[in-house]
Amino acid sequence: MLSPERLALPDYEYLAQRHVLTYMEDAVCQLLENKEDISQYGIARFFTEYFNSVCQGTHILFREFSFIQATPHNRASFLRAFWRCFRTVGKNGDLLTMREYHCLLQLLCPDFPLELTQKAARIVLMDDAMDCLMSFSDFLFAFQIQFYYSEFLESVAAIYQDLLSGKNPNTVIVPTSSSGQHRQRPTSGEASMLEGVEAPLFYQCLENLCDRHKYSCPPPALVKEVLSNVQRLTFYGFLVALSKHHINQALGALPDKGDLMHDPALDEELERL
Amino acid sequence: MDCQAEVNCGLHLVIQASSLPEKNKVEFKLNKETPSFPGRLLQHDLERNYSSRQGDHINLVSSSMPSFPILQRSSEEKILYSDRLTLERQKLTVCPIIDGEEHLRLLNFQHNFITRIQNISNLQRLIFLDLYDNQIEEISGLSTLRSLRVLLLGKNRIKKISNLENLKSLDVLDLHGNQITKIENVNHLCDLRVLNLARNLLSHVDNLNGLDSLTELNLRHNQITFVRDVDNLPCLQRLFLSFNNISTFESVCCLADATSLSDITFDGNPIAQESWYKHTVLQNMTQLRQLDTKRVTEEERRMASVVAKKEEEKKRESHKQSLLKEKKRLTINNVARKWDLQQHRITNIATNQDRKDSDSQDHCQNDGSTISAFPEETGSLDSGLTSALQGLSVTDTHLVEVDGDTLSLYGSGALECLDRNWSVQTAGMVTTVSFTFIEFDEIVQVLPKLRIKFPNSLHLKFKETNLVTLQQFNALAQLRRVDQLTVDPQGNPVVNFTLWKYYVLFRLSHFNMQKINGTEVTQNDMIMAERLFGILAHVASSELPQYHLISILGDARKKQFRYLLETKGKKPGIVNEENNDSKRLVGESTNRATLNYTTRDFYNEKLEEIKEKKKFCKIYIEDLVKEATEINMKNEALQKLWPQMFIELVRDAVMEIRNKNSYMKLCLQQITDQK
Repeated sequence: MLSPERLALPDYEYLAQRHVLTYMEDAVCQLLENKEDISQYGIARFFTEYFNSVCQGTHILFREFSFIQATPHNRASFLRAFWRCFRTVGKNGDLLTMREYHCLLQLLCPDFPLELTQKAARIVLMDDAMDCLMSFSDFLFAFQIQFYYSEFLESVAAIYQDLLSGKNPNTVIVPTSSSGQHRQRPTSGEASMLEGVEAPLFYQCLENLCDRHKYSCPPPALVKEVLSNVQRLTFYGFLVALSKHHINQALGALPDKGDLMHDPALDEELERL
Repeated sequence: MDCQAEVNCGLHLVIQASSLPEKNKVEFKLNKETPSFPGRLLQHDLERNYSSRQGDHINLVSSSMPSFPILQRSSEEKILYSDRLTLERQKLTVCPIIDGEEHLRLLNFQHNFITRIQNISNLQRLIFLDLYDNQIEEISGLSTLRSLRVLLLGKNRIKKISNLENLKSLDVLDLHGNQITKIENVNHLCDLRVLNLARNLLSHVDNLNGLDSLTELNLRHNQITFVRDVDNLPCLQRLFLSFNNISTFESVCCLADATSLSDITFDGNPIAQESWYKHTVLQNMTQLRQLDTKRVTEEERRMASVVAKKEEEKKRESHKQSLLKEKKRLTINNVARKWDLQQHRITNIATNQDRKDSDSQDHCQNDGSTISAFPEETGSLDSGLTSALQGLSVTDTHLVEVDGDTLSLYGSGALECLDRNWSVQTAGMVTTVSFTFIEFDEIVQVLPKLRIKFPNSLHLKFKETNLVTLQQFNALAQLRRVDQLTVDPQGNPVVNFTLWKYYVLFRLSHFNMQKINGTEVTQNDMIMAERLFGILAHVASSELPQYHLISILGDARKKQFRYLLETKGKKPGIVNEENNDSKRLVGESTNRATLNYTTRDFYNEKLEEIKEKKKFCKIYIEDLVKEATEINMKNEALQKLWPQMFIELVRDAVMEIRNKNSYMKLCLQQITDQK
């Protein structure tokens, strides 16, 4: 806990990285909201409960979307909650439409935006036939990367578009260097004939992206793994591969695909009901 | 040419057609070999025996005319029956020339084959002419018979009434059994008393003016569909219309004004089959004494008027009802149209507003026309017709209807009706409430009122109410009880979800619903619902932090949860059997009670309110953080500086105490200074 790196960061940066302030602000806000009720059983107890629930990941239940989206931990907790609550739906084998999954999401978060669900569905369906039915596990994993890494994915999409249209955001315009320009022209030519972009080039851009940006992004090693297997790939191809890869461990929110339907603790509860 | 025939009967009739110019006293003879005069006679008839009615002995002589036989009678006969001549069944095909009988008053040509009325113009004293059962095709040759009073032309082939101009004294005209299609050319017969046009081809009756003496008019067995002009017959007493095609009284309505009529028959007409026939006729023709040859009694007349009045009432009532229905239909259409416009949210609302206004105006006008009919209809409602259908509030934009046990609401304006005062009886009878063309979010807001005002409503129906998410069903939990739920796929996209029924069963499990959308709820359905969503309930209740739980639930539940609070407080995080049981005691629904539905508008409102607080919190925390970091900095600074400071303190102290004597003196000095 008291590791040297932690103390190495200046105070504001540390707080920001751990999103401590977000939780503090939210706690105080909740306190203000419910002061009549909470004053009944003590403020200290309230704070205990609050932070306990943050640790357990139950703080995001029935909260507004802006809060759920605020921190990576919140997002992961939400994913986990979604999985736990609706695992039974998956176990039952029902295939549902995007709208129905959105409905289920809204049961937990009333103002969850439709665009996110749509984007997740696009990953599963490879941007095709949006009314198709999806299985629970497919949707869940796609939703996972879409929701957790939404900003990252947006940037990736932008990069992909740039690459498709032939612009390489990475090339440093050095007049003498011919290699950069060389690389540009074939890319544009090839892009028009073949689908997607060159994997290695794509990887370079993503690496830079990960370095540059603060918000969470998948571990670069993972990205490299995904991109090393193929020569060319499309945007959705990349996302699908990413979702199916062992990204779960990186996030720590959901179990692997094999274990998706198992949750002994809750199964027990279910028996009791 | 000589023709001879002998008919052996009382009548000795001999026909002779001769081209000889001589007037022979010869009998009418028919030639067996060559029957060649302008009639048609069958050979085998010649052998038959006929008997005549009158037994006249007539001799017919050959005439000077090329083809007409001449009739002559013996002088005894002439004296005996000087004014009448019977030529029945004489197989005549033409009218013979009757010579020397200018005094004749009665002429009988019945049962012959005469095709044209001829050769009688000289019989100017003729009063009675009987040409029944011949083959006459046209009325002619009568223009000189000014004294004629009775003209019998029944059973002929006459197609048209004509050439009766001079017969002004005609008293009886019999034209039955012909092919007459139209009544015409009789308007001058002002002495005519009896007119028989039965068994003709008449399709209507009119053109009867001028028949000022007509007492009896026989029109049986025609194809008459309507009757006119009968009220212009001042003396008409008997009118026979049996076996025609009259189906309504309106088609013979002139009869009501025929005050002289006392006897009428309608049997064999379609109208006589109607249930209202008798009393309608009696009601409209109070002058009648006999109907269909039966005397009309006072009792019948009275009954007729009573029944007629009742019919009138019923008609008025049903007219009113149909008007009401039409209005309802229009209103519902209007509501539907408004709803569609609303749903599709066309971008340029400005231009649509104009169109909508003009549309509703059109409807106003439409409804205006029906409304204007209404005030006239406010007659006495027959108490017998207790209207099962009460249209209570009908305007252009919404419709509220109570039909026995169903309350139907169309259009969002209809929700206001829940504020009205409903009689306990009416409200108690309502078991089904149907919502159409109303946003579900608006319905949610009036559900508490519904619960109070219509406590027996067990079946809810939703159509075109924009049910799109499963959450919305959470709102139904605030009702007392729902037995049946019907969500029409039209206008309710939520029905397309695979899991919607299970969710409803799960969330509203405490209602023990019997039917959803008409299908029975089975035990398996309930189990499946629990299996699918049970964990959600568990998570929603047990894993929510307490403060959150309480803030979501209403006041009512707070007391219930206070008990749980106590136990949970003592043993944090342990869910034991006791807790479970207590949960069950409180009610099945508590663990689902957290699953609420707030309409989007409310939700956004709430979020807006919270924004202020959030801002404040942010600033507050920032201040705290600033303070904390400052303190931390100061602390760190102190930590850094402290060793040095401590050493200096110690050094200073040690330096002070080095010289004991001077230190003692210093201390003493300080004490005296203080004093």
